[in-house]
Amino acid sequence: MNVESRREGTNLVLKADGRVDGTNASEFQDAMKSEINESDRAVVLDLEDLTYISSAGLRVVLLIAKDLQRQGAKMAACSLSDPVREVFVISGFDKIIPIHDSQDSAIGALG
Amino acid sequence: MSSRIDLKVETRHEELQRIFATVEELAEEEDWPPALTFKTNLVLEEFGLNIMNYGYDEGIHTFDVSLTSGADTITIEFVDDGRPFNPLEDVKAPVLDSEIQDRPIGGLGIHFVMELTDDFQYRRENSRNHSIMTIRKSD
Repeated sequence: MNVESRREGTNLVLKADGRVDGTNASEFQDAMKSEINESDRAVVLDLEDLTYISSAGLRVVLLIAKDLQRQGAKMAACSLSDPVREVFVISGFDKIIPIHDSQDSAIGALG
Repeated sequence: MSSRIDLKVETRHEELQRIFATVEELAEEEDWPPALTFKTNLVLEEFGLNIMNYGYDEGIHTFDVSLTSGADTITIEFVDDGRPFNPLEDVKAPVLDSEIQDRPIGGLGIHFVMELTDDFQYRRENSRNHSIMTIRKSD
């Protein structure tokens, strides 16, 4: 698992790759948190290269979503593979984190 | 034709790596679609972690996991001597519709297992939980 970050205008794009499971979810949390600043107002989570995520990883996504909402930031996810999208849907996460087909459309929607 | 793999797993999170490696090997051998490998790993991780985290009071314990790949289905069986746990009766439905700040952390693991398996059977026998789940190979 690896998290890369890039700033595009006022948006922070976090691109996670590899696997996030019960053995490395806390590293995933640290990696995500270390990239987010308190001044960020829009964060796109690009999951195109994420090959696996379990409830331990989704827990981290929810914690980050809560943090971002507290600091008044918007969050979106994009480019989910079919199985990753399925776990987002069965968790009901698609109702709280907008999912987009591409990074461009996620950035466009966050404005 | 079917192949069966039996594992003895300790209640340590690192054991997940060994389970994942076993699945990857079988998936490669039988040329599974990535979505099936994902689902099988997820069911094994969530149910396995549940036993590791909640099945016992303390100490390291060992439980059995078997993985059987048949023509149309994958069958996963967990046998553990931890506290009685029948997911069909003992699990509260997770909260899936509240807003971000109200959304509880956790409680999704067994929900995933129930959603992603096509059949789930449980019995308590000789002070052991037998949890048997089936995943169809084609959706």
